[in-house]
Amino acid sequence: MLPPGSSVEGCLELPGASCSLSNRLDSLESIIKQVSNDRFGAIATFIGTTRNSFQGKVVTKLEYQAYTKLALKTIGNIIIDARSHNPDFQAVVQHRIGVVGVGEPSIVISVSSPHRKEAFHTCEFILEEVKRKAQIWKREYYEGEDESQAEWKSNV
Amino acid sequence: MSSTFSTNSPAYITVLYFAAASTTLGISEELISIPSDGFYLFQLTDLLIERHSLSDGDTLRKVLDSSQWSVNAEMVDDEDLTKVELKDGMEVAVICPVSGG
Repeated sequence: MLPPGSSVEGCLELPGASCSLSNRLDSLESIIKQVSNDRFGAIATFIGTTRNSFQGKVVTKLEYQAYTKLALKTIGNIIIDARSHNPDFQAVVQHRIGVVGVGEPSIVISVSSPHRKEAFHTCEFILEEVKRKAQIWKREYYEGEDESQAEWKSNV
Repeated sequence: MSSTFSTNSPAYITVLYFAAASTTLGISEELISIPSDGFYLFQLTDLLIERHSLSDGDTLRKVLDSSQWSVNAEMVDDEDLTKVELKDGMEVAVICPVSGG
């Protein structure tokens, strides 16, 4: 089955932040450069990677879909919410869509801020909110199981 | 002289399906005919179940009952399903429990 027509690549730029959905991620070097700022002394970067097993079953691959226009809006609003806790940061949020192999990065969140405490907190805040709200879905394919039976996961 | 347009012209919404909803139905979107007036979001579940009843009605009901909805790319709170009137041209999406990040 083809992915939904609305599960397309896209990006959203807002002041001090850039979010994107794509099958590819920018290189870490590029992402760090995007958040680097001479005023800031800390960059906290989270990379989510895909695991090879779930409850004893071997994962062979993963697939992500997104309602891109809404997911990007949601991530943009998460960034705006984050600014109410920490007004001074820059962020890059990139989430992969489409097929992602086992052991590969699926999401990168990089946050720069004047000091480390805020950089860590903001990075974690964005991650937890993305997991809670962003209109993105993950499907896991298991070894020995028919692909048509692969489960769509839920974060709740 | 005043004139009013007929409200009897057909109204269509686009319904988008993702993840489990899409896998259940085997489609990711469809154009649905709705009454041009007085049709609210909370009524859409039954309409979709009836539309798909011959194939996947039961599974679809389970999926829809556990899903949220968006209209024109804005999430609708569960308590507002009775307040959102669906009109011609709207894009409604079934938002199953998410699993990003």
